[in-house]
Amino acid sequence: MAKVTVKLFGVLRVDTGLATSEVSANKLGDIFKFVNEEITEIYEERHRDDPELERPDAISFSDAIVYINGKRCPRKGRKLSDGDEIWLMSPASGG
Amino acid sequence: MAELKGYMGKVLLIDLTEQNHRLFPWTDKDRKRTIGGKIMAGDILFQHVRPGMKAFDEDNWIVVTTGPLTGSGCPNTSRFNISTISPLTNIVTSSNCGGDFGLSLKRAGYDAVIFTGKAKEPTTVEITADDVKFKSAEDIWGLKITESQEKLPKDTDKLVIGPAGENRVLYSCVFSGERTSGRGGVGAVFGDKMLKAVTVKGVQTAPVAKPEKLKKFNRKWVKTLMTHPLTGRQLPKMGTAGLVSAMQAHGILATRNFSAGRYEDFEMVSGEELTANHLLSNSACTTCVIRCGRAVKVDGKTVKGPELEILGLLGPNILNNDIEQILKWNYELDEWGMDTISAAGTIAFAMELNEKGMWDCGLEFGKTDNISETFEKIAHREGIGDELANGSKRMSDKFGGKEFAIQAKGMELAAYEPRRAVGMGLGYATANRGGCHLNAGYMVVLEGLGLDVDSLTPHGKAAITIMFQNLMEAISACGSCMFTSYAVFPGFLVEKPNWLLTRAILTAFPYVGPAVNILNKFTRLAQINIPLIPHSKALNLVCDFHATLGTLLTVGSHGYNMERMANVILGQKAGADKLPKRLTEVPQDPNDPRTKVPLERLKKDYYRARGWKDGIPTYKTLKRFNVDMSKDYYDRVVREARADG
Repeated sequence: MAKVTVKLFGVLRVDTGLATSEVSANKLGDIFKFVNEEITEIYEERHRDDPELERPDAISFSDAIVYINGKRCPRKGRKLSDGDEIWLMSPASGG
Repeated sequence: MAELKGYMGKVLLIDLTEQNHRLFPWTDKDRKRTIGGKIMAGDILFQHVRPGMKAFDEDNWIVVTTGPLTGSGCPNTSRFNISTISPLTNIVTSSNCGGDFGLSLKRAGYDAVIFTGKAKEPTTVEITADDVKFKSAEDIWGLKITESQEKLPKDTDKLVIGPAGENRVLYSCVFSGERTSGRGGVGAVFGDKMLKAVTVKGVQTAPVAKPEKLKKFNRKWVKTLMTHPLTGRQLPKMGTAGLVSAMQAHGILATRNFSAGRYEDFEMVSGEELTANHLLSNSACTTCVIRCGRAVKVDGKTVKGPELEILGLLGPNILNNDIEQILKWNYELDEWGMDTISAAGTIAFAMELNEKGMWDCGLEFGKTDNISETFEKIAHREGIGDELANGSKRMSDKFGGKEFAIQAKGMELAAYEPRRAVGMGLGYATANRGGCHLNAGYMVVLEGLGLDVDSLTPHGKAAITIMFQNLMEAISACGSCMFTSYAVFPGFLVEKPNWLLTRAILTAFPYVGPAVNILNKFTRLAQINIPLIPHSKALNLVCDFHATLGTLLTVGSHGYNMERMANVILGQKAGADKLPKRLTEVPQDPNDPRTKVPLERLKKDYYRARGWKDGIPTYKTLKRFNVDMSKDYYDRVVREARADG
């Protein structure tokens, strides 16, 4: 398993409060699984204090825009190496 | 009066020299040709301007226009436009604003108001349905924006300039509420005319052709905007500030006066940081369902928060990682009444001049303790402020450094570094008003932000840029916010970036250029209304004239060609569509020669598709898009433009 850093940006971070995590993973698909588990844990913790809180279901992490070491990568099967930095971003536009 | 619905049917012409007013003739034929907004203003100016006319001439007109959707109940339609000859660029500038002045102008019974002449003393003009009054503004001359607004009648909507406009800072702006007509120095033209403020009030409403159908249609439109990933999620949650990290990822975040596209400390000045630690609440223009505005605290006061441009240009672009400083500077620039983009871009240029020993001004990258005082000096044109008030192009004429004065046609670029988004580079260079990201067509939305089209290839970029420029021109003319155009992209393209279908479509995108160019040339072919661009159908329901996507493209093309020709009349030379050499000759990544804007190649495609030669529309093109000009006059101004262009 490679040890990689995962960073969330955009709406993904705002909705979840999750910014940076160190993760062990073989391929990109494992990262999505990890993030979803983290989110579920965070949500459940918050939900105990605030039963009204809605799950951030608008987010589907497997649909995030992915950058690995500064390069865009859409392939979930992409193998990871030690020290890789993975950015998961939501789409953005503005003016 | 107008037979067409959606319009009030009257245009007011106010003479500040003579202190009188009259109605300006504007017919339904004119309305159909221009829709309204910036194209209407451009048309009025096109007919008015003459060779040699300058921004501070007495007969330079300020044209304030609304669109037919303004006040119609359609979402995001409180926009209005101010056009005039820009003192910054010496060509036409059109500056769009989301404040309430446009709504109130229509309530007072007018679609537009034109100002001509010069007052002899500081003046406030009061517009109501029955009258126009001229009052002394001596008591508010010299005051900042908020103080000025507070001293004007509370039951009115207002246009106001600050000290920067009064002192003719070439990039000063005009405020309506907390919103600005920011770009091109319209505030300086107000100041030169001694026009400190305009107030307006009224109670009328524009007639709507099919009110019941419109209500139903609007419900769907609102739903589309509120469920779209960009207009319903990203913009409300993060505002435009949410782009900082996306731009960093893609390498297009202007850094160190556009010498790089990534900044090590970007997270400290990002939308994520703003949202987590500084955001008090969203704010919005009236009628807006997106709510991209931010409210933050500065010195204990709740004020307007920063947008992407100011985060980028007073953050990475001057090597500043202190977001609290940016919040404060944003507020200060607003209070002085200055365009944040041009002010910040000019300061970055001055920093590099200083660093290279070309101008000893005391401004340094990463040094932030003298920025606030510099803004004050600019607003009052004191010391170094007198040079900075003229913008980076004039400074480069005086001190040198043209290759790193980051402007186009005299207007400073927004925070998108175009060497990794080359279509955006073409847009900056060809935009009629100068280095503006929106007038440019905003190709960057395809080139790595919302979508992921190959951002380094020149293929197809000219055709798509033209299509976007024309379409955005027309959407703006309706009175709609440009952000409504982001819903043009089907949600799945944005939400499912990793789908095979999405990737296939985006990979093929650059190769649709020839097909897009057929539509660009034969705009009337698009005799359809499509749900993704609801503005044309809205025109049918509000105004009761037959509008289609083809109408928007035709009117947009008319607007773009006409405004370009107005610029040529005003002295714009052939070959004026340029970018500084830093962006066209120096690769952002020294190991990747593709990371620069291949401008000559892009312009060749662009001019061919536009029907322009060296940046000037051919006479045939003008005829195609209903731009009315005699052949003799055309030949004369074009000859002049080519003389030493």
